Amino acid sequence: MLTIESLSAGYGEAQVLREVSLNVTEGEVVTLVGRNGAGKTTLLRCLMGLHRQQTGRIEFLGRDLGRIPTHHRARSGLGWVPDDRGIYATLSVTEHLTLARPTGPDPWPLSRIYDTFPVLHERRRFPGTRLSGGEQQMLAMARVLRMGARMLVCDEPTEGLAPLLVQRIGDIIRDVKAHGHTVLLVEQNVHFAASVADRHYLLAEGGIAEELDNTEVRRRESELLAYLGI
Amino acid sequence: MVNVIQQLFNGLVGGGFLALLALGLAVIFGMLRVVNFAHGAFYMLGAFGAYLLLTEAGVNFWLALLVVPAALAVVGMALERAFVHRLTQLDPLYNFLLTFGITLILQDLIKVRYGNQSQPYSRPALLDGSVNLGLFQYPSYQVFVLGFAIVLCLLVWLLLTRTRVGMIVRAATERPELTRSLGVDVGRWVTPVFGFGIGLAALAGVLAAPMRAVHPMMGSDLIITVFAVVVIGGLGSIFGSVVAGFGIGMAQAVGNLYVPALSQTLVFILMAVVLLWRPTGLFGREGVLT
Amino acid sequence: MREVTRRSAAVLATGTLLLSACGQGGPSDDGGEISNGKVVLGLINDQSDVYAELSGENSVEAVRMAVEDFQEDNPDSAIGEIEVVDADHQNKPDVANSKAAELYDQRQADVILDVPTSSAALAVANVANQKQKIHMNVTAATTELTGESCNKYTFDYAYDTYMLAHGTGTTVTEKGAENWYIVYPDYAFGQDMESSFSTAIEEAGGQVVESDPTPFPNDNFSTFLVKAPDLDPAPDVIGTMQAGGDLVNLVKQYNEFNLADKGVDLAVGLMFITDIHSLGVEAFSGVTFTDAWYWDYDETNRRWADEFQERTGTRPSFAHAGNYSAALQYLEAVERAGTDDSDAVVAELEGYEFDDVFARNGKIRAEDHRVVHDAYLARVKEPDEVSEEWDYEEIVSTIPADEAFAPVEDTECEMG
Repeated sequence: MLTIESLSAGYGEAQVLREVSLNVTEGEVVTLVGRNGAGKTTLLRCLMGLHRQQTGRIEFLGRDLGRIPTHHRARSGLGWVPDDRGIYATLSVTEHLTLARPTGPDPWPLSRIYDTFPVLHERRRFPGTRLSGGEQQMLAMARVLRMGARMLVCDEPTEGLAPLLVQRIGDIIRDVKAHGHTVLLVEQNVHFAASVADRHYLLAEGGIAEELDNTEVRRRESELLAYLGI
Repeated sequence: MVNVIQQLFNGLVGGGFLALLALGLAVIFGMLRVVNFAHGAFYMLGAFGAYLLLTEAGVNFWLALLVVPAALAVVGMALERAFVHRLTQLDPLYNFLLTFGITLILQDLIKVRYGNQSQPYSRPALLDGSVNLGLFQYPSYQVFVLGFAIVLCLLVWLLLTRTRVGMIVRAATERPELTRSLGVDVGRWVTPVFGFGIGLAALAGVLAAPMRAVHPMMGSDLIITVFAVVVIGGLGSIFGSVVAGFGIGMAQAVGNLYVPALSQTLVFILMAVVLLWRPTGLFGREGVLT
Repeated sequence: MREVTRRSAAVLATGTLLLSACGQGGPSDDGGEISNGKVVLGLINDQSDVYAELSGENSVEAVRMAVEDFQEDNPDSAIGEIEVVDADHQNKPDVANSKAAELYDQRQADVILDVPTSSAALAVANVANQKQKIHMNVTAATTELTGESCNKYTFDYAYDTYMLAHGTGTTVTEKGAENWYIVYPDYAFGQDMESSFSTAIEEAGGQVVESDPTPFPNDNFSTFLVKAPDLDPAPDVIGTMQAGGDLVNLVKQYNEFNLADKGVDLAVGLMFITDIHSLGVEAFSGVTFTDAWYWDYDETNRRWADEFQERTGTRPSFAHAGNYSAALQYLEAVERAGTDDSDAVVAELEGYEFDDVFARNGKIRAEDHRVVHDAYLARVKEPDEVSEEWDYEEIVSTIPADEAFAPVEDTECEMG
């Protein structure tokens, strides 16, 4: 579904991504694990067309994204859930859900969104930033599901959330996967990653250091945690 | 007491102009991240447009109120396409310099045609004279200006809060990249929004023609105050710019009354105080500029 | 920002000019006959900004008229060629300073005329003194040119704040408008006018109920206009010291608030006929002010104004006529002296008495170099009194030359 080949990118002189290659197949949940500054967020921004890629090729649903502008990438089914959740202060909850038009391949109807996230219905008139952290995270995910994203691109969705809410996010991701969506997840919480994902890429110094499966992650959990500095 | 109330009323009238100008500036800044220095020049062109239509074609004030802003909005859109657009990816300073240059050119073009003097423009006959506001008599035209400015601000408010376009403008103002990543073609709205902001400035100019000097420098004299208003309201905050516009208008009127010697600097003192207290302005949010 | 940018441009320009001036060095002045074989009349004024209409390029034309008239009247003049040069000072003292040096040194000007904006005029007067060349100021209002900052080579020709204040302030007060409310722009000219007016009003037995500085520039005067009728005692007249666009703003708003109907008249400190022309006579009708000269005062003025209009397409302001007169008097002084040597010409000018199209009962005072002449109290006509374009003023009374300006005994000038 998503293939990234030899992607390089940077800021000015600083090279952040070096020849990164990875692929995600339809219906998979794949995590990208790496230290702070390893280039995870830059990778996602390149994917969304928000950061210029120097070399390499990104292919999504069989289409080269090279010169495709951001909003067309979104419409083709990439749903970005940014690390700060990207909640607007000046938009109500309902507006968050209608800002992105259901242009993607598989938009969820509003009713289904509210069934899945009843709290968003309860608070539908609230400005986005009045929601709690967990609610904001749900809203950010609900928004791209409403848009019809085939693939959710989530940047550290559990960061700063209480354990109970982390669990809830995990449930949502599994639920989304069960409905046939694909998820690319950036995560530092290895334990959480192993609980939701099928495969893992370890990003180090701007490149893919290793590809791991769940059993391997569980086996090497303490080593990985030490490596990530947690 | 009546005097103070009347002064506050004066301030609201003056504030109406500030609010309309600041509103356009804020919408443009929000959508393009461009500080449009030429805003004052379009205010001036609005007034001269009304004057030109009257003297060359006999078009009256009411029609000018429609035609001039629409025509200048189109000019604004052309400028955005031709020049501003090309610089938005660069340091904001480039567009600041560009619009500053456009200001000088527009001012000088008007000077070449009309010289450096004021042109006469009378009040519409319908609004000659004054009305009794209960506590005091007040010039009808100024009452009209205030009412018109308030209604216009409300309409823009409704446009921003109740329509899809408004929602997109708000979203793009707050988080342009994120908004694009949600499948919204923000670029498509940039030019119309620029034109809209320019149209508001032109409208304020037409409104000013009957009560202020129609002079090539009328805009550049005012624009610095408008910048201060936008900063006080909070850069990028549309609501803040309107509130600050009326607020500064009233503060100036009352300031003139009690401390006339300070009147010139009052708005900048207020700006400094507000920035010390809230570095992002009254209604601004952090991160608008990042 | 605009100010900063313009200022840095001005600084650059000044620097460039100063450098080039240094390279050239001044021409030597041997004191005899006509230096360089020609007399050069220079003008420095505002050719693009607020004072461009009331003086500007049309003043240059007025000076050319003076040259032609002089040559016609003196066919056998010892003065050979006469050249007119000019420069734009953008109302900035630093620019005026470098332009004056440029005119005197490189373009060999023997006299610099005009120079609106008091600060710029003082800068030029200073250069004139250093270079021992003549400056005849026409368009600046400050009394300092003939007061504290006077010098041997500087003359003040057309008007000053004393003339304006004593013309309008004294006359209007004596006519019964005893209580004044003064509003003035908060910069040097406005402050100077405010103090001159207050003195004149009080000397005439009136009182200044209140005087308020206003921002400059300013587009909203309603605070002051609303306040006016409620002052205690209620003022009979508002004296405004605003000029240019600000004056237009204030008058528009004065009319809107119907203050005339509430018994509060308007007196304007400094007004040029070009101001009336730009706003239309109805906006100003009834306003009293002091004029140094009016084109339709008599046949002589009118004839000159006709010629001026033929050449420029517009009627002259007093600044245009003043420049004409100053140029003419300078040339005649050179003719009498037989040389353009500054000291000799100054000696000819000092104490000289004359009448010309601008100055009636004119006299160049030796003590402070104030050129005194009749001044006029004018009232702006009602629209139905206007019979032709530019027919805006009714001359209410003539203020005799010896009363129009500050008495010579009071001068603070010490000609060193």
